[in-house]
Amino acid sequence: MKKIYLIGNPNVGKSVVFSRLTGVQVISSNYPGTTVEISKGYLKLGEERIEVVDLPGTYSLEPTSRSEEVAVSLLKEYPKHEIVVINILDSTNLERNLFLTLQLIEEGFPVVVCLNMCDDAGHRGVHIDIEKLEKILNTPAIPTCAVTGVGIKLLIERLKEAAPASRNKLSNEELWKEIGRIIEQVQRLEHRHHSFRELLEDASVRSLSGPLIATGVIYVSFKIVRFIGELIINKITDPIFSNIYQPLLERLTLHWQEKGFWFHLLIGDLINGKIDFKQSLGVLTTAPYIEFGMVLPYVISFYFILNILEDIGYLPRLAILLDNVLHRLGLHGYAIIPVLLGFGCNVPGILSTRVLESKRERFIASTIISIGVPCVPLQAMIFGLLGKFGGFYVSGVYMVLFSLVLILGLILNHTLTGYSPEFFLEIPPYRFPPLFMLLKKLYFRIKGFLIEAVPIVLLGVMFINILLYFKLFDIVTGIFAPIIKGVFGLPKEAIVALAIGFLRKDVAVGMLMPLGLSAKQLFIAATLLAISFPCIATFIVLWKELGMKSVIKSTLIMITISIIVGATLNFLILH
Amino acid sequence: MKKVSLAQMKANQKGKVIELLGGAGLQNKLMNMGVYNGKEVTKLSHIGLRGPVVIKSGRSILALGHGIATKVIIEVE
Repeated sequence: MKKIYLIGNPNVGKSVVFSRLTGVQVISSNYPGTTVEISKGYLKLGEERIEVVDLPGTYSLEPTSRSEEVAVSLLKEYPKHEIVVINILDSTNLERNLFLTLQLIEEGFPVVVCLNMCDDAGHRGVHIDIEKLEKILNTPAIPTCAVTGVGIKLLIERLKEAAPASRNKLSNEELWKEIGRIIEQVQRLEHRHHSFRELLEDASVRSLSGPLIATGVIYVSFKIVRFIGELIINKITDPIFSNIYQPLLERLTLHWQEKGFWFHLLIGDLINGKIDFKQSLGVLTTAPYIEFGMVLPYVISFYFILNILEDIGYLPRLAILLDNVLHRLGLHGYAIIPVLLGFGCNVPGILSTRVLESKRERFIASTIISIGVPCVPLQAMIFGLLGKFGGFYVSGVYMVLFSLVLILGLILNHTLTGYSPEFFLEIPPYRFPPLFMLLKKLYFRIKGFLIEAVPIVLLGVMFINILLYFKLFDIVTGIFAPIIKGVFGLPKEAIVALAIGFLRKDVAVGMLMPLGLSAKQLFIAATLLAISFPCIATFIVLWKELGMKSVIKSTLIMITISIIVGATLNFLILH
Repeated sequence: MKKVSLAQMKANQKGKVIELLGGAGLQNKLMNMGVYNGKEVTKLSHIGLRGPVVIKSGRSILALGHGIATKVIIEVE
């Protein structure tokens, strides 16, 4: 046995099984297509270390989409006798899942059948005779509940029993008939009334109750994100910064007589003789305050709510409801998932555009995300800065971005050749993930954010300070001052912030803090930062996903729009 | 017995799939997800005028774009 492949229909919990087998943590959610990148890990089996590959979900061995193609072609990389295929099934929906199972057996793969979510099947009154199923399929079959770990040990023990079983090849229609016969023998359904959960599942896709529920869900989610974010800032991070960190820094710098290069770099400017976390701009002052005091609280609250929506399985339902609108933008409803992920960070958002089939759709979605979808760090800073001028300006930024997305989508849809494929999606049942799974995923995402953001923020602020100290920005600001002032109505120092936006958006907005801008200027600068160049991480992903030509196209669109929008806002708003 | 497309069916109506129109690619896709000749399905809802159609097929809930829904022919009572 050289390799173990995990294969199964979308959304049966492959990634959770993968995490259990290898200890490698990967993001899993309750919607088809969470896994767009191939994860690899190792399972220790006695003395051997065997590579385990988590494949994207597929309904059959005859691929009908790009991610299915990837799954099937990887499966055929090694000779069949050198691999073991763990076929993961959703026990609550045995019938549909068996189609792939039978195909795998027909093709002669050594298969171990893993009947996942067996606890949920029990709740829903689905009973499966496992022994009978093993006999019919002629393969080991193990009931598991990967979320809690039930059955995983047995699954590992029985891997060695995997062997090719012979089966006649059937046509697809005969295959479904055969499955019908198998289901009759092994599955017993308890007759029960509709549960509250099933009523809710129904109501959220009905044409009247669906949109009502969606409006409620979005409104409540937004409120909770703000509430938790502010709670963390007011009760935890702000007290820590002002009561513990500031006195500590002040004591450390008390005896620092000569306020030269290093002082400037680490502490920054003193405002009225004191450290001001929002204005000092030092590597030890403003940099950690931006990241931990302003952005991190919202990253935590945003992902907490997104994780709940993802794991319950609400997002595909939202996708159905928005299909009509998104069709006019050249996308279909499922594009709402990359967009929502993009609100957290544009990078995973653009990566997940892989769930969309055509290149055209991926281009439209990626461009829309990088122009019109502000990430959490940027949004947190906009709230932090513009909030004090009132909700009018904050919602103004969102209004501008939202209109931009609509206009841009309409134009792209009309000008790009090609068509938008249609929506065809399985809607998962609602599932209620245990709290520890939610917290684990939150921890995993926060860790990812910190690893990515903190070094860049610290280095970024250091870099800016060096340039400022040696007055190297003056040359650039001199050249661009007429444009910045004349077209956008911003002071010439704002060019530094706009340029830093390419590094990280939160630091860029942070650079605006000491400039003492008016509400109008802040509003324009924040909007420009949201629209213009994506940060470098996003840029690299765009490049990788779309190729150079499309990135250049997308960048040109960005620059044009930035100038038009910045100038329009400047001339429209009077005060 | 009447033949209608999924798009024309009414919400909560039951019926049997009798024909899949469209190219081989679409037919395969439908087939892989368990929508094949002889399968009993129930229409749950239809979003908007030309929006997606939601059906229950076996234990799965599927959402199909309007265009695809017009290509699945159902026999209803």
